[in-house]
Amino acid sequence: MKNYQNAEVYEKVTGRAVYGADLNFPGMLVGKVLRSPHPHGKILKIDTSRAQRIPGVIDVITGKDLQQKHYGIAIPDEEPLATEKVRYMGDEVAAVAARGLNAAREALEAIEVEYHPLTAVNTPEEALQTGAPSLHQDFPGNLTWERYLERGDMKKAFEDADVVVEDSFSIPAVNQAYLEPVSCVAIADRYHGVTIHTSLQSPHMNRNIIAGVLGLPPSRLRIVCPYMGGGFGGKVFGNQKAYILASLLSMRTGQPVKIQLTREEEFIAGRPMPEAWLKLKMALKKDGTFLGRQSDILIDNGAYSAQMPFVSKTLSERNDSLYHIPNLYTRARLVYTNRVPTGQYRAYGNQVANFAYESLIDLAAQKIGMDPLQIRLKNCIRQGDVSVHGLKMRSCALPEALETAAREIGWKQRRPVNRGVGLACCIHTNGNTAAFRGFSGASASARLEEDGRVTIITGEQDYGQGTHSTFAQIAARVLDIPPDWIIIHSKDTATTPFSLGAFACRQLTIGGNAVRIAAENLKKKIKETAGKQLENLKHENTENLELKAGKLVTATGKAVPLEKVARQGMYANQGMPLVADGYYEPPETTAADESGYGHISATYSFAAHAIEVEVDPETGEVTPLRLVAVHDSGEIINQLVSEGQVYGGVSQGYGYARMEGYLFREGEVLNPGFHVYHIPTSLDMPPVKPIFLENKDPVGPFGAKGIGEIVQVPSIAAYVNAIADASGARVTELPASPEKVFFALNKGKKEGEAR
Amino acid sequence: MTYINATTIAQALGALREQKGKARVIAGGTDLYLQQLPEILVDISGIDKMRQIQITGEILELGSGITHAQTFASSLLQERATCLSEACSYVGSPQIRNLGTLGGNVVNAAPAADAAVGLVTMDARAILVDCEGGNKEAPLEELYQGYNRTTLDNSREILMALKFTVHHPGEGSSYQRFSSRKSLSLPIVSVGAWAKVKDKQISGVRLVAAPLNPSPTRLRRVEKELEGAFASPETYRKAGELAREEAVTRDSPLRGSGEYRRHLVGVGVERALREAVYRAMGIPSEEKAGDYYQ
Repeated sequence: MKNYQNAEVYEKVTGRAVYGADLNFPGMLVGKVLRSPHPHGKILKIDTSRAQRIPGVIDVITGKDLQQKHYGIAIPDEEPLATEKVRYMGDEVAAVAARGLNAAREALEAIEVEYHPLTAVNTPEEALQTGAPSLHQDFPGNLTWERYLERGDMKKAFEDADVVVEDSFSIPAVNQAYLEPVSCVAIADRYHGVTIHTSLQSPHMNRNIIAGVLGLPPSRLRIVCPYMGGGFGGKVFGNQKAYILASLLSMRTGQPVKIQLTREEEFIAGRPMPEAWLKLKMALKKDGTFLGRQSDILIDNGAYSAQMPFVSKTLSERNDSLYHIPNLYTRARLVYTNRVPTGQYRAYGNQVANFAYESLIDLAAQKIGMDPLQIRLKNCIRQGDVSVHGLKMRSCALPEALETAAREIGWKQRRPVNRGVGLACCIHTNGNTAAFRGFSGASASARLEEDGRVTIITGEQDYGQGTHSTFAQIAARVLDIPPDWIIIHSKDTATTPFSLGAFACRQLTIGGNAVRIAAENLKKKIKETAGKQLENLKHENTENLELKAGKLVTATGKAVPLEKVARQGMYANQGMPLVADGYYEPPETTAADESGYGHISATYSFAAHAIEVEVDPETGEVTPLRLVAVHDSGEIINQLVSEGQVYGGVSQGYGYARMEGYLFREGEVLNPGFHVYHIPTSLDMPPVKPIFLENKDPVGPFGAKGIGEIVQVPSIAAYVNAIADASGARVTELPASPEKVFFALNKGKKEGEAR
Repeated sequence: MTYINATTIAQALGALREQKGKARVIAGGTDLYLQQLPEILVDISGIDKMRQIQITGEILELGSGITHAQTFASSLLQERATCLSEACSYVGSPQIRNLGTLGGNVVNAAPAADAAVGLVTMDARAILVDCEGGNKEAPLEELYQGYNRTTLDNSREILMALKFTVHHPGEGSSYQRFSSRKSLSLPIVSVGAWAKVKDKQISGVRLVAAPLNPSPTRLRRVEKELEGAFASPETYRKAGELAREEAVTRDSPLRGSGEYRRHLVGVGVERALREAVYRAMGIPSEEKAGDYYQ
């Protein structure tokens, strides 16, 4: 049961599962988008007449053809198509719908656009300079969002400090690198409104935003999700431009329109994790006690802000709750630049800051001559604690995670020259009340079908991370039926309850609890119904009915098949099957107050990763030898799924640490494809050992907590810390490529002496 | 599209002649499929003669249709053209190595093509035939005409085979490669070394580095300096230093700074030469090296 996989996995590996790219509808047109070749420019004129005349071209639209409203997830700074200005190389300028890809491509080439190039700002630093050109009228000076976060008395912390350690860190923009590029088909008709077929992590939230742009009531926009080929946070909102443009083209032409992004478009016009710069300073006592921390964080927003203010919030505060640091002062600034607009990636910014903070802690330990493990154990948050920002640690095995990771990697072991170990840890939310104003819970329905099987209807999303299997296990446990008797119905805004979707590790903890409660309520209903049925038989005792192995068992041991209860119950109910709902709102959570204080999540997951590496000092090449990933994700409901999350997340973290990152030259992405943007292959990965501490959580279903995002976080800092331990080279700018390691090793040496 | 499957060289040449310059030769297709495909293709991967490894005395003739995987798997090549065998083990991924051919690797003329570096290190000559019945033999190095361009006319000529002298006793070779990941990755720098050692003295050496120029580049000044040098760690280190002086490396946003890449040329030369000399002298490993130098 702990390794349960539902049959969807067979559909996927046999190639039968239907993904967005596989979809085809009668009369379907191909939609394509014309993108700006300039990082910044005024649109003087767009002439589409030649494109319109190309055989097979049905529609060509520009911003002028549309009743455009600005929209946005956090800030309304986007239009479906640029009208006056383009703000990055890739900005959507026009869209075509044609019979076939060739005609669509030809049409793009035939659209004539006259631009007046404007000076572009390439980095947040450039963008913030006085006199720098502004991207958006409403944001003169290009500051998108800013935050000051203060706790305690920072000044005093530094006065009381025995030691102060400081450094600057940077981390590049990183692509989510999901295998399946965004693909959508929009079908407009006068009865239903618009139906969009595309795989999304949060269909309902997208529905509401997109319906607003299209001028439709949300109930007249339906999003149906086929199988998803990877999302990793990038498909929480996916590529809204593509969905909107496909819908507009379909509404105008009356034909289904499919827009499928190329891999290059995913890189130049997707929403990668942003580049960030962190200037950090920490005050501590000689004995290793943390006194205070000061952070100045700069984040490249790119041209449009999407959900970046929320990501920036997590980035700038989550790591504060990992240790007891009573005095904090953080300034975080999110800045518009003429580069690819950014978005979210698994762990929502936590990993970006974790790399910097966990590097700084190693530097602090080194400065006072303390073991990096001991300094963490001395200061880390523990079960029962309330963090500096008000997070309540109802279950927390962080110290055990650190100790286990250290023990498993052989922390104190003597090693050959050029070998070393590194350690890092982290905290992550399980659902976040900051995500949506209104509610932070979830609901589900459980329906007993007439054959005794059960359907769970949920708005939560399985996009490969195993939610469907895990939900089936939860319901199966409550109802005591085999998980294969359960089918999860999700992925359709017309038929499932409103849901926030798959992000912030809320699927299992919050969505799973809703499933548990729905199943419990169904169980009650089954018993009541069966009780009535049995009463009619007069001679049966209807007290103490139990569900056991797919049957209803009476106190006298008489077993009634569930099927019989279901069918008779349905008939007695005028054809309505037995249905029960489950609602779940995480207890005691509060939206954070103005200062950012509050218990903002159902519960929190913890992890510590340790890695052993060998450094070649002649080349800077680093060989990762093995990695231990210790996780407190509560009780593990599905071992296979959890291990899969660890392997995937760790390899993404390793990619972040070692090789990934956008390369820009004046707004142009220099590596827009997998041949030039490298992610790790299986040959690059060290053996990974996942360990789950199974510390039962009082909130999560059956003591379980989330694991989807946290898996990526600590492996990044662990890697750079291990390099420093092995060689003395401290890399503060990711990725820690062999070249960076080499020059960090040879800092201060003149060229030619560098060996 | 017209796709012609040739089973003999005469048939392939005939097809090229008939199409009067409109057809192109295809073998593994691993590079060609990434480009705009021409209307007419002549597939030469079914020509048995071009998939043979023939050795006559010390001269080895490798059919250009031999894949990277076959090259790597051949024990003859592992022992007697070690640098080529090693180079082929790095190309792309298993799928690419199973399809891609030595001839394609050369004709595509990518500046960092692994097999080409190995072949130049072996001082290979190219055997070409054309559709008018002509044939010629030329040093592989001379085939390059610019970035991704060779003198070979793909619409009328076929690179039939590659020819070189295999290692004699007292000779050895090695290939060293630095790249940003372990598979599906072009090299930041790659180096091939071939050495002949007699009485612990280097009596012959070839050093090749890439990508420095459009073609794999012989480091001839270093080679000259090494003639007659004693096989010793000092010599390898000096070779590396000289290579850093001779190599011209440019900054590349994808491959790394010119400074770092120049440094790697030195490390590569030092390591490749050391390995080549060890193999020439029959030294099994670094640890055992001390005994042999005595």
